[in-house]
Amino acid sequence: MDDIDRAIINEIQSDFPIESRPYRELGKRLNLPEREVFRRVKALKDEGIIRRIGGNFSSKKLNYASTLCAAQVPKEKIEKFVREVNKYPGVTHNYLRNHEYNVWFTFIAPDMEYIDTALEGISRSTGVTEILNLPAVRTFKIKVDFEV
Amino acid sequence: MNDAIGYAEHKFQKDQENISRCAMIDDLDKMVIQLIQGDLPLVMRPFASLAKRLGISEEDFLGRIRALKKRGIIRRFGATLRHQEAGFSANAMVAWKVKEDKIETVGRAMAKFRGVTHCYQRQTQKDWEYNLYTMIHGEDEEECYRIAEKISKKVGIKEYVLLFSEREFKKTSMQYFKK
Repeated sequence: MDDIDRAIINEIQSDFPIESRPYRELGKRLNLPEREVFRRVKALKDEGIIRRIGGNFSSKKLNYASTLCAAQVPKEKIEKFVREVNKYPGVTHNYLRNHEYNVWFTFIAPDMEYIDTALEGISRSTGVTEILNLPAVRTFKIKVDFEV
Repeated sequence: MNDAIGYAEHKFQKDQENISRCAMIDDLDKMVIQLIQGDLPLVMRPFASLAKRLGISEEDFLGRIRALKKRGIIRRFGATLRHQEAGFSANAMVAWKVKEDKIETVGRAMAKFRGVTHCYQRQTQKDWEYNLYTMIHGEDEEECYRIAEKISKKVGIKEYVLLFSEREFKKTSMQYFKK
């Protein structure tokens, strides 16, 4: 990855052109030919540096409910618990963390009732009873792009 | 008295939410969202190629995306990196216990820190009184501790816990309007 790649990445993280020929538009911004921008973006994707290019949405504005959950899962139950939780497509992030509440996941669904029902089901099938449901009541910051 | 104010504020927030929720998304918007929540085809005219699948013109397709972006329904349109935190090797979720009447000031102050990428107030639960959450990024765990300490001193909140991710079980993008 060279400086031109970095400039391209910084440009397209938050502001990929919504234009007929986006790579030509990027080329104009960065003073590069369209073909070259396209070739470099393709290479960055092939190398796996760029995971995807597309839209990221406000779940709230799409009328979806979202939350952060934390569960106390005994070591021997972690595998089964994670399998059950990850079955839900609305679980988008799931991590093991260094706390007695050791499994933390985000959950997005059409409404909170769906999430509550899912958590009850997960509880029943895994025997894990300590699950916190911590929906956000206020957002102070979401930083969406990272300088590279 | 406080309860009455609390209720009024709560009602105001709910009304605001309802107003934003009334912003209509029609079936075509939903189809557009389904196509752009994945990965754009890697071709010179990606939007023309997607528009074709819906049987609409490229101009109409672009117009829909621009409108969704303007309304804040698309929060960001662009590239997601595999290692979003390129250059940072440690990140910690920090959960803070903040007195209810201080939360606004503290939340705003925390959001100003460069190393803080996300800052949310969240509901508490019985036996779980942490109500403010920040994601912080550093070069290593030690730096995360240092940043948290700096924030703690600056905003005067002493009760907090750093939660480092030890293993990733899942990381994906939400797929909306999937049946």
